[in-house]
Amino acid sequence: MQPIYTQTVGSGGAASITFNSIPQDFTDLQLVASSRIGSASGNYGVRFNADATNSYSWTYITANGAGASSGRLGSASLTELVVGQINGTDTTANTFSSSNIYIPNYTGSNYKQVISDAVRENNATAGVQIMDASLWLKTTAISSLTIRPYAGNGTFVQHSTFTLYGITKG
Amino acid sequence: MVWIAGANGTGSSASITLSSIPQTFTHLQLRGIVRSAGVSSQIYTRLNNDGASNYATHYMYGDGTGVSAGVGGAPTTVNFFGSMPASTDTANAYGSFIIDLLDYTNVNKYKTTRNTYGFDLNGSGQVWFSSSVWMNTAAVTSMTFLANTSFTTATRVDLYGITSSQVTGA
Repeated sequence: MQPIYTQTVGSGGAASITFNSIPQDFTDLQLVASSRIGSASGNYGVRFNADATNSYSWTYITANGAGASSGRLGSASLTELVVGQINGTDTTANTFSSSNIYIPNYTGSNYKQVISDAVRENNATAGVQIMDASLWLKTTAISSLTIRPYAGNGTFVQHSTFTLYGITKG
Repeated sequence: MVWIAGANGTGSSASITLSSIPQTFTHLQLRGIVRSAGVSSQIYTRLNNDGASNYATHYMYGDGTGVSAGVGGAPTTVNFFGSMPASTDTANAYGSFIIDLLDYTNVNKYKTTRNTYGFDLNGSGQVWFSSSVWMNTAAVTSMTFLANTSFTTATRVDLYGITSSQVTGA
């Protein structure tokens, strides 16, 4: 597990984070994110290779401190991958979400299956855990990745961190 | 990912502490196996030996018959992440966990842990996906595993450090 890039959000905040020129010589990618936004809590939206077409689908299981549920959305509804969780202003101050986004076989010729596990803590009844399976319906190798609050709903606050790791077999 | 330290249970203590954690990594990951030397017991962690009501914790849980969610406490005095098999349960079966703690030296953030834990006993089992926030911005220098009963001598906890690259213009 080798760090490729880290980006830390500065005092001005950031609407999105992009990793360009992703090396093509690893087997898998793993994105580790600790973030918070200056608006209501939500999910991440991720686009590969700047693809904003209806080419993503999503299945999840989640809990919120009171109950658990599962659901899904298909490509007709999604122009970006939905993954993870982000703390927002409706949660305890100074609390940043913890997300692990795993992208196996990112240079392969199959559709890109992504799995993630993430949490959004809060000193109240509502705290969220979520596990996602998300699909990018393209066979192209992933060479860039942009992550933002889903649908652009918010801005990452200072001290949010994103690290992209490469994983090599053998 | 670099191994930092590890420890076994003693068979007579309900506590395992990993202290003097180096401050040179970006993230921490704890992996381990746990089993009670007596009756089944809930298991917890504490950071920097803080036993005050500075934690909030939530979970998603399944036992093979249903799924539920809940609040382990908000606030509470520990990070609760599951319960371990008892000495009378299926022999040689241990609970297994991975706990991720991101940005553990970042003094601008409360510390969120993302916990994956479970065991199967060939007839029953439990799966937990949980989270906790320690509502303190201090860098984490020690981590203590706690239970209500003693850990077996084969209970094992290992701590790993994960680095990240420097900020780039990627």
